[in-house]
Amino acid sequence: MRLLKHVPKFNLSKIAGGVAAACAVTLALGANTALAKKFDGVTVNVMTFTGPQIAEPLQRHAPEFKALTGATVNIITVPFSDLYTKLLTDFATGTNSVDAAVFAPQWVVDYADPGYLQDISAQVAADKALEESDISPFFRSFSTQYQGKTYLLTLDGDFHMIYYRTDVLKEAGLAPPKTWDEYLSVAKAVNGKDMNGDGKADYGSCISKKRNAQAYWAVMSIAGGYLQGQGTSQGAFFDTKDMKPLVNNDAFAAALNIYKETSNYAPADEINLDVGDTRGLFTAGRCALTIDWGDVGTLAIDPSSSKVIDKVGASMLPGSTKILNRETGKLEECTATSCPHAVDGVNRAPYAAFGGWSGGINAAADDKVKQAAYEYFSFVSQPAQSNKDVTIGATGFNPYRLSQFGNINGWLEAGMSKAAAENYLGAIKDSLNSPNMMLDLRIPKNQNYQQVVLDTALARFLASEIDVHQTMAAIEEGWNELNEDLGKEEQLKLYKATLGL
Amino acid sequence: MSVPKSSFWQRLTEPKDVQSMSPLKKIFTYSVLLCWSFVVLFPLYWLFITSFKLPIQVSDGPFYLPFIDFKPSLHAWEYIFIDLGRDTLRPYLNSIIIASISTVLAVFIGSMSAYALTRIEYKPKLGSIIAFIAAVALVVYLTVTVGMSWQLSLSIGAALFVIFVLSFSRYFRRSLGNNDILFWIISQRIMPPVVSVLPIYIMFQQLGLLDTHFALIVTYMAVNLPIAVWLMRDFFAKIPVDLEESAMLDGASRMRVFLTIYLPLAKPGLAATTMLILILSWNEYLLALFLSTADAQTMPLMVAAQNATRGPQWWYMSVLIVVMIIPVLIAAGFIGKLINKGQLTGAVKG
Amino acid sequence: MSHNQPKQGFAQRLDQLTPQLLILPTVLIILFLAIYPLLLSAYLSLSRFKLISGGFELKFVGIRNFKKLFSGSQQYHFLGTMGDILFWEWLIVAFLAVGFGYWIVRYLRSAKVSVIGSVGRAITVAVLLALTLLAFSVLNGTGYPGSLMVTLFYVFTGVAIQFFIALGLALLCAQKIRGKHFFRMAFFIPIMVTPVGIAYAFRMLMDMSQGPFSPIWSAFGLAEFSWAADAWLARWVVLIGDSWQWIPFLFMVLLAAIENQPKEQVEAAQLDGAGSWRVFKDITFPAIAPVAATAVLIRLIEAFKIIDLPNILTNGGPGIATESMTLHSFIAWRTQDLGGSAAVGYSLLFVAVVVCVSFFNFIGQRTVAKGAN
Repeated sequence: MRLLKHVPKFNLSKIAGGVAAACAVTLALGANTALAKKFDGVTVNVMTFTGPQIAEPLQRHAPEFKALTGATVNIITVPFSDLYTKLLTDFATGTNSVDAAVFAPQWVVDYADPGYLQDISAQVAADKALEESDISPFFRSFSTQYQGKTYLLTLDGDFHMIYYRTDVLKEAGLAPPKTWDEYLSVAKAVNGKDMNGDGKADYGSCISKKRNAQAYWAVMSIAGGYLQGQGTSQGAFFDTKDMKPLVNNDAFAAALNIYKETSNYAPADEINLDVGDTRGLFTAGRCALTIDWGDVGTLAIDPSSSKVIDKVGASMLPGSTKILNRETGKLEECTATSCPHAVDGVNRAPYAAFGGWSGGINAAADDKVKQAAYEYFSFVSQPAQSNKDVTIGATGFNPYRLSQFGNINGWLEAGMSKAAAENYLGAIKDSLNSPNMMLDLRIPKNQNYQQVVLDTALARFLASEIDVHQTMAAIEEGWNELNEDLGKEEQLKLYKATLGL
Repeated sequence: MSVPKSSFWQRLTEPKDVQSMSPLKKIFTYSVLLCWSFVVLFPLYWLFITSFKLPIQVSDGPFYLPFIDFKPSLHAWEYIFIDLGRDTLRPYLNSIIIASISTVLAVFIGSMSAYALTRIEYKPKLGSIIAFIAAVALVVYLTVTVGMSWQLSLSIGAALFVIFVLSFSRYFRRSLGNNDILFWIISQRIMPPVVSVLPIYIMFQQLGLLDTHFALIVTYMAVNLPIAVWLMRDFFAKIPVDLEESAMLDGASRMRVFLTIYLPLAKPGLAATTMLILILSWNEYLLALFLSTADAQTMPLMVAAQNATRGPQWWYMSVLIVVMIIPVLIAAGFIGKLINKGQLTGAVKG
Repeated sequence: MSHNQPKQGFAQRLDQLTPQLLILPTVLIILFLAIYPLLLSAYLSLSRFKLISGGFELKFVGIRNFKKLFSGSQQYHFLGTMGDILFWEWLIVAFLAVGFGYWIVRYLRSAKVSVIGSVGRAITVAVLLALTLLAFSVLNGTGYPGSLMVTLFYVFTGVAIQFFIALGLALLCAQKIRGKHFFRMAFFIPIMVTPVGIAYAFRMLMDMSQGPFSPIWSAFGLAEFSWAADAWLARWVVLIGDSWQWIPFLFMVLLAAIENQPKEQVEAAQLDGAGSWRVFKDITFPAIAPVAATAVLIRLIEAFKIIDLPNILTNGGPGIATESMTLHSFIAWRTQDLGGSAAVGYSLLFVAVVVCVSFFNFIGQRTVAKGAN
């Protein structure tokens, strides 16, 4: 009141009027927003790995979701190598700081069995906006369901493919490689050429080989064509008869040798490059070939960072003309019986590496929080958001909905040329529909088999600490040890179940 | 008498007078020191300018001078503070709260004990100590193997210990002295955090205190207490006993002597100790990694979490690191006024 | 006086309790948060940990985890791959064994022999000999060092380098120069940067193609070279990062000590015409020896715990080349092998205790004694 005394009279009415107007607006807004916000005051802690892939779109959609529903979504990121353990300890010890998480669907086995994940089958069935039937059946079964129930919402669809520089290969008169031997010879032929006009010599092949990162799938991509020829249900990790690891034989040795040989045509510190780095190199125009998930295709058309717009082709993973004889452990030439799915004598096994980042909900969280978390994941997965996100390379989301494959317009709008879009989507579709597609490992503790045993052995192999035979022996010993620890019969049963046997 | 003309070499190598340095030595000294200053400051300069760079300016090769080589941009700062606003502020505040509270507690409790170890003679009985260790071992065994609830086993252990001390302690003559206590306290520092982190994690999990500020504050305080005791003891040892004796003759209690005489006199020591412990708590990574997930996440975790797949996002990282140095610099400047040149020596007299 | 009686009574009682009150909090806190983890960790290292619904389950398995580390499937990871020990290396070890043996015998014959002393010395000798043998085996080219050797490399080489550089800097800075205050302030800053941040900063700096030194590397044709792919280079880069961070600490301590040396002696010596080397050898070094010893001890203790730099600079790579024991333990935790993680941690504790206590007893005490003279 004392303040008003000093305010000149003529200003007072203006001030009063302004204040009244402001109040009215606020009330109106408040009334508007107060009506629609069903999750007001609800906070959801979502954990995932450090982005920008995956984390960036989640962070971007959080305020949108808040505007719609009032829920506050916190995205907590941890390095990829820590994610599995952090989630498992948080759930198992009852700390429950994490309400929901976006992680590898392979790990659903270890989270759902002990009952840490919320069963969302009913909610998904009732969720019309999600358009679940639009999600490719393969991704639906691998990435969202476990033992008949739905535990996850998938946000991403993953296949390993190779990418090549159409201009570089054309200039060298080479065709995109169909076998791994061809991959090596192409890499060798173009290695050292200047591929982006900056005067520096560039590389034939860039493959991510970093330890404790997301590199350990690449060797399986190479080995698939040598290991699996009888179709998806034959599997490529263990022998379905006795759970013997398929890692100590001529096929895996061939794959390891190829894997190591690619380093000869690659950057010197390839051993320290994670997928983000190799993608950066490829889109900066410094590599002729690379193995990666779908991100390269969409990153290549990003005008702010790509120097190879319209110069990138994608194709299904190369394969092999030889196949492993599981009895003898030796490689044999492909025949009609040993490689029924071979095309032109080449057996290819496209690898559904990783599955696709999916969101799961902590069963121990508050009901309201669980509901908010579900609706948030559904929101991110709905076509309105998802169709845009999968065309942006930086999001890390790759296509998984049938409409995303079928409707080419979204891709054209994003900046892909028609030819590039057809080529890119074609490669993914071919992989998806291949009868010899290779599934990723989904048995209990698969993280230990792959991220620990396989990854460490590979790192030592690449550092030339151990040779091929020692590497294979180390992996076999580690995997056998895990089998023994967890019960070989049980693991075999579960492994066969993932293959549909 | 003529003074022999000095040669060029002589002029270079001989000092003007006994106290100062020869020109050659001066050149050498200054160049080495300036060289080292460059070594120290350049990484920080690089971090600072990287926080203003665009991704393309980082990947296209080194640019050294803002405004001359490249155009600085605030995009990284915006992203960290505005886009990620709450996700940045939370760890920042957590760090400030946890570090300052645990430091104050550690320094205060540590100073009390340091004073006690300097002026009071203790004779803890070896028997009691062994009994204590045995009691803790029993508690651990009961809780973990037998599966008893920790409350029950803790009570049993405590009861047994008290009974033992009351009845049997007089049979054990052998006792330890102040130096043994001191050595034991200091040797706690040798324990690698990686050994203690799992049990501490389990303890807080049983108490349901994981991912809380309380857990981190208590742990940091416990971990840094040895340093506080170690450093403050040397400072207190230098304060003459007569001051205390005359005060006690006047009727002051020990506590008053401690609070009114020792603490004020040891201000530089307090400052140095506080600074060191503050830095250790502020930058601590391993314990925070295990004990916190979301609510109590601290800044070092946030910096480490920038280890992204797309190669680290150098620009965001630089912002975070620079932002982490600033509060420490402020605290240092604030406390630094109290640090005297000579007082720091007393800190580490063996 | 009489009206003071009751008040005095209470105050008196409080005063009597003060000694306990002053020391008890510290003792209790440390006792609990130190003894308890020590014991539980010991138990963990002897068991297998499994996360189950609602918590965890521990199964006692005896020394299986340690067996795995020292002779089983993790031996390559912890001790390293054993190579051949050459003849002259055996000779050196034998020579050392004889020397140590003589030293122990001399101690046993001395007047102040005690059980603890003998046992301690015996353990120290055994451990030092074993480590020497191991070092020869894995470091001479045919073998490959595991996390134990790598940690010892970081500790000994690192602390030595850091000490000598810090000493040199402190000596230079203690002279009459202008800008002393500036140098002091500047040199102190690296301590304040979080170790994780330093690791990332160094990764940026050591980037051969994008880092600030790339023009220099290019001039030498090294632009495409990868230090991270070479085991020893990677270890040295970690060491450089570690030194950058810790030299300031040693520098501060040594500088303060040098500035506190008896000035009159120095001035007298200088007036007598003594060169700076003699001044250093006879006056400065003895004066700062106690402080230096304590600082080195502190640094030794902390050096064993190195984890941030190898983790972030190289992920422990190439292969396992830069893994310190703490990093090894952390990686084991990440695989939910908590028993193995605790076993590595305990081994680290054991080695650290042997080294630090030996240092404290045999070098620390001697310099204190000398300094007191």
